Amino acid sequence: MWFSTFLLKNLLRRKTRTLLTSCGVAVAVGTTIALLGLSESFENGTLSALEKRGIDIVIVERGVLDQLSSDLQENAVDYVAALPGVSKVEPALVELMGYTDPNTGNTINVLLQGWRTDSFQFAEFEIIEGRPLQEGDDKAILLGVTLAENVKKHAGDTFVLNEEELEVVGVFESFSTFESGGAIMPLKGLQAMSFREGSVTGFPVILEHGPGAPTVAEVAEQINQLKDNEGRSLNLLARPSREYTQEAMHIKMAHAMALMTSLIAVFVGGIGMLNTMIMSVVERVREISILRAIGWRKSRVVAMILGESLILSAVGGVLGAIGAVVLVSLLTKLPTVAGFMTGRIAPQVIFEGFLLALAVGMIGGLFPAYRAAQLMPSEGLRSE
Amino acid sequence: MKVIDDVLVRTEHLSKVYPDGNVNALCDVNVEIRRGEYVAIMGPSGSGKSTLLSMLGALDRPTSGEVYFEGERLSSMPSLDRFRSEKIGFVFQSFYLLPTLTALENVQIPMFESNRPVKERAAKAKELLASVGMSHRLHHLPSKLSVGERQRVAIARSLANDPVLLFGDEPTGNLDTKTAELILGLFAKLHDESGVTLVVVTHSDEVAARAERVIHIRDGQVVEDSHISTATTKIA
Ligand SMILES: Nc1ncnc2c1ncn2[C@@H]1O[C@H](COP(=O)(O)OP(=O)(O)O)[C@@H](O)[C@H]1O
Ligand SMILES: [Mg+2]
Repeated sequence: MWFSTFLLKNLLRRKTRTLLTSCGVAVAVGTTIALLGLSESFENGTLSALEKRGIDIVIVERGVLDQLSSDLQENAVDYVAALPGVSKVEPALVELMGYTDPNTGNTINVLLQGWRTDSFQFAEFEIIEGRPLQEGDDKAILLGVTLAENVKKHAGDTFVLNEEELEVVGVFESFSTFESGGAIMPLKGLQAMSFREGSVTGFPVILEHGPGAPTVAEVAEQINQLKDNEGRSLNLLARPSREYTQEAMHIKMAHAMALMTSLIAVFVGGIGMLNTMIMSVVERVREISILRAIGWRKSRVVAMILGESLILSAVGGVLGAIGAVVLVSLLTKLPTVAGFMTGRIAPQVIFEGFLLALAVGMIGGLFPAYRAAQLMPSEGLRSE
Repeated sequence: MKVIDDVLVRTEHLSKVYPDGNVNALCDVNVEIRRGEYVAIMGPSGSGKSTLLSMLGALDRPTSGEVYFEGERLSSMPSLDRFRSEKIGFVFQSFYLLPTLTALENVQIPMFESNRPVKERAAKAKELLASVGMSHRLHHLPSKLSVGERQRVAIARSLANDPVLLFGDEPTGNLDTKTAELILGLFAKLHDESGVTLVVVTHSDEVAARAERVIHIRDGQVVEDSHISTATTKIA
């Protein structure tokens, strides 16, 4: 018989308790994997949207927490464009607007991006229905494919947002789940609709690369120093794409919430494990003493208790990972979530979740194992 | 009968006080057990027999005095755990088999401490079970075995790591006379054939009759030892 077979047999003596404890770990690990995975895919989605288009720097208003609350003068784009090392820069407006389905009455949030009709951000776009935005389009909208499916709209339909009737000129698919879940409007049209003519939320910047070109940090520094003709600061905050993504408020919040919730879940799972293993040692006091008397060393007793708790937690880890993958893929199919996240969890997050499960098992098993090792081997000789 | 005279285990002024209740379980016990001997320990309930076994078998430490095994002090051994797993076997009154393991698996439990590969462990366990006449019950759980069969499995388990010294604490105490007779036959066979040193605590005169030597204990003291002339060891 293998030692591991013996441990399994011990665990199967209390099937319900074993199952419940593993489920506790599964919930802890599953929550962690799901939340960390989602917040990670959130971050990666944002970053990859920037990187795929070669955007090196994102400019927002200095001092705001989020691009959505950023408010900049559109004409600052000319100051930036004039800087050495800047290849391309353009104004962009991001707005979040509620769309109410006229049939069901359900409201969903639509992430709207206002771009110039000739924007370089249209790279890596696939128009799968209708046509792209054109010069002169105003009350026009391009729907991301996920959004189009959710609201059941096609090219040629009318889409009412903010009491404004927009024409769906086309449906696009982007590699970015964010964009596929949102919509794109001509900058002028979006500005008009949100009553902020001449105002934008940010500027994506593509730099010149090659020998002699200034570094990303150098250009960013230049942008941060920019002043208008009257010598007033333009109040621009330029950050490399990666830094911008990591610092973005919604991403930081998502990370922090994921982390907090996971910590609580892991704590609860750990307590469950500890409780189970203590009970299991208390029940087997005499048995453990007998094992010592018939030749087991302390280390073997420790290995038994730790081994049992590690098996419990590993089973919990596997269950939790499966649960998380299923949960996330279901969750991201919901219309309200679909636009913002992919249902794919990075393998690394699953691996980390599994390690976490083992850590829970280790921590929950250490104290009971120590207690078990302290039991006297002479117990079996005591009269009952 | 082998002629053996080297001392396997010996105590010197051995005393044990259990702190809870302040019980003097053993007082100044001096005994010698020779290699290959078959010793019975007798005495009324509560006289300290089990305590003596747990001192001799390194299950517990004495309050004062010393136990020597093959001339070496137990108290200065680097690992009593290791000593126990390599040299000592134990058989209990209540068998203490693990309820969810088959006979074959129960016998393998002590072997986790040996370096035997898993196949050899199973083979050795089969061999041991055969030697106690249990080949036909290898895959039975303890609950499906008679008490006599359980004790036979427990004896096979006690031999798992080839001990030189085997202790029994009232091993026939839970058995009827006929079954007890069978178990005693096994002990006798073990003693005669493999030269294991046997120290068996018992209440039964039949058991004592099988032993080569009987040590009587009362109130934590040796009051009679048949090995030495009774006249000189009787303590007032
Ligand atoms: N672990 C213990 N703690 C306290 N007292 C004990 C313990 N083990 C035995 N005793 C006491 O020590 C005395 C001797 O016990 P024991 O060696 O078990 O006797 P026997 O085996 O001869 O019946 C008894 O009075 C018993 O109550
Ligand atoms: Mg006793």
